[in-house]
Amino acid sequence: MTSEPIIAARGVTRRFGGLVALDSIDLDVPRGIVQAIIGPNGSGKTTLLNALSGASHADAGSIRIGGNEIFRLKPHRIARLGLARTFQTIRIFDNLSVIENVKVAAGCNMPTSLFNIIASNARQRQSEAAIDRNSREALEIVGLAGRANDHATQLPYAQQRLLEIARALASKPNVLLLDEPAAGMNMTESMTLLNTIARLKSSGITILLVEHNVRLVMGISDRVTVLDFGKKIAEGAPSEVQRNLLVIEAYLGRRHRHA
Amino acid sequence: MRKALRWKAWPIIAVSAAVALAVPVIAHDGYVIQLLNIAILNAIVVIGLNFATGWAGQINFGQAAFYGLGAYTTAIATKAGLPWIVTPFLSVIVVVVASLILGLPTMRLRTYYLAMTTIGFGEIIRLMIVHWEPVTGGTSGLRAIPGISIFGIGPQGQIQHYYLLIATLGLAVLIALRVRNSVLGRAMIATKDSEIAAEQSGVDTTRTKLLAFMIGAIYAGLAGCLYASSIRFISPDSFSGTQAILLMTMLIIGGMGSIAGCVVGAVALTILPEALRFLGQWYLVLYGLGVVAVIVLAPGGLASLASQVQPRRARLR
Repeated sequence: MTSEPIIAARGVTRRFGGLVALDSIDLDVPRGIVQAIIGPNGSGKTTLLNALSGASHADAGSIRIGGNEIFRLKPHRIARLGLARTFQTIRIFDNLSVIENVKVAAGCNMPTSLFNIIASNARQRQSEAAIDRNSREALEIVGLAGRANDHATQLPYAQQRLLEIARALASKPNVLLLDEPAAGMNMTESMTLLNTIARLKSSGITILLVEHNVRLVMGISDRVTVLDFGKKIAEGAPSEVQRNLLVIEAYLGRRHRHA
Repeated sequence: MRKALRWKAWPIIAVSAAVALAVPVIAHDGYVIQLLNIAILNAIVVIGLNFATGWAGQINFGQAAFYGLGAYTTAIATKAGLPWIVTPFLSVIVVVVASLILGLPTMRLRTYYLAMTTIGFGEIIRLMIVHWEPVTGGTSGLRAIPGISIFGIGPQGQIQHYYLLIATLGLAVLIALRVRNSVLGRAMIATKDSEIAAEQSGVDTTRTKLLAFMIGAIYAGLAGCLYASSIRFISPDSFSGTQAILLMTMLIIGGMGSIAGCVVGAVALTILPEALRFLGQWYLVLYGLGVVAVIVLAPGGLASLASQVQPRRARLR
């Protein structure tokens, strides 16, 4: 890769009291790939995603997204720089319809003024039309276009996960962070999700994925980063990581023998 | 979708407008019209409260104080001889400044700080009104406040005031609907539902909460302005902490987040105490039971009953 990685994190450290949840992590994610972060429970995967997205700031380090330093920036500023995410525990907006959930993110870079909203003038109508278009596109990608006008809470669990992905896509991100997107999905739903992720990758979005299901990760990822106790213990192509003794010891070995 | 919404909403709008316009024909009684005028003003204040509390999820007990600030600003200004036309602007300036002073430091924090701060703010405003007697008239209030007059033209009598206030309420509803169906309204509801997910979707939640609080304060300030110059008598009782709680109850009973609910809640809780006056002290018992019944049987408020009959009406929220 000649161009700068889209995510370049250096020395990212996060402490919770005496516990070092992230111990000086360096992470590079090249543009346009699917990279996975795996590791046993409590290894710091979600903490790392939270530090990258600004949901819970790192205590020290430097994080550059697309060349912009985002350390300690508020999450909405990071989102507007082109980083979107989904959550491990679903966080959709319960009091909005499916399409309105998506519109929240689609409108994030639209200039708004209270005056235009109240006057409901041509500019306002244009921007609402653009938001509507982008939102329908995003719903189309995850296959929820048919349920646009339903109440978000009427969707079954797996579709609520897809709705989170659609919402993340609607802000037209360069980087998409997916926190255990397949959690709670059955086999068919997971396969559809994999296809969606592959399509997103081919459309040029860089995807950073935290996932428990190692088999799912290995099939789709170009690179895998392994965390254990807040430290990076391995990184590389899935096949390399799978052969890494440290990883087998920390994670895969135990898992695979039981499986 | 927007067209569908309009199409479905039309009959309801037409019927409510017809009823609203016909009321003075049926009720000639000045007292009834006066009561309705107060109900309409309360409805505007509660729609304002709905921005911060119903949509953005910020508990605000300062709404009665903003109502009072608008009313006293208008009363003091017109009694000092300023032309009426400047009073809406003055009221808005006063409440915007007050809401920024309250909102800027508290909106960064979580829900309950604003509740605490606004309770304190309401009490400060009430104490100022009560004790700054030479200007505010103290506990006995201000009388003979000049009426609404735009370059010498103004409504005469309670029925004309009624039509003016109904038109203002219509405008207040229209603006609230436009905000609801815009980037800003969706951002408010998203902020309430999940602040962190809203932030990660690019919503500046601090700004959104502040705007919701400020727009609500403007609604209350303008309603206060119209209260002073249409009722023409104000006293601290109308804007006390009790009133703040009553406004919150109107919002809860009508239905948090629903504009129609705000109107229903405000009108019901303004008129019922008068209509049931013959019950004497028993009214409070009935009131208490009624509030509990609504909260238990229809947690979404009276408006949610309508949307249960016709689920798609939820879109009007």
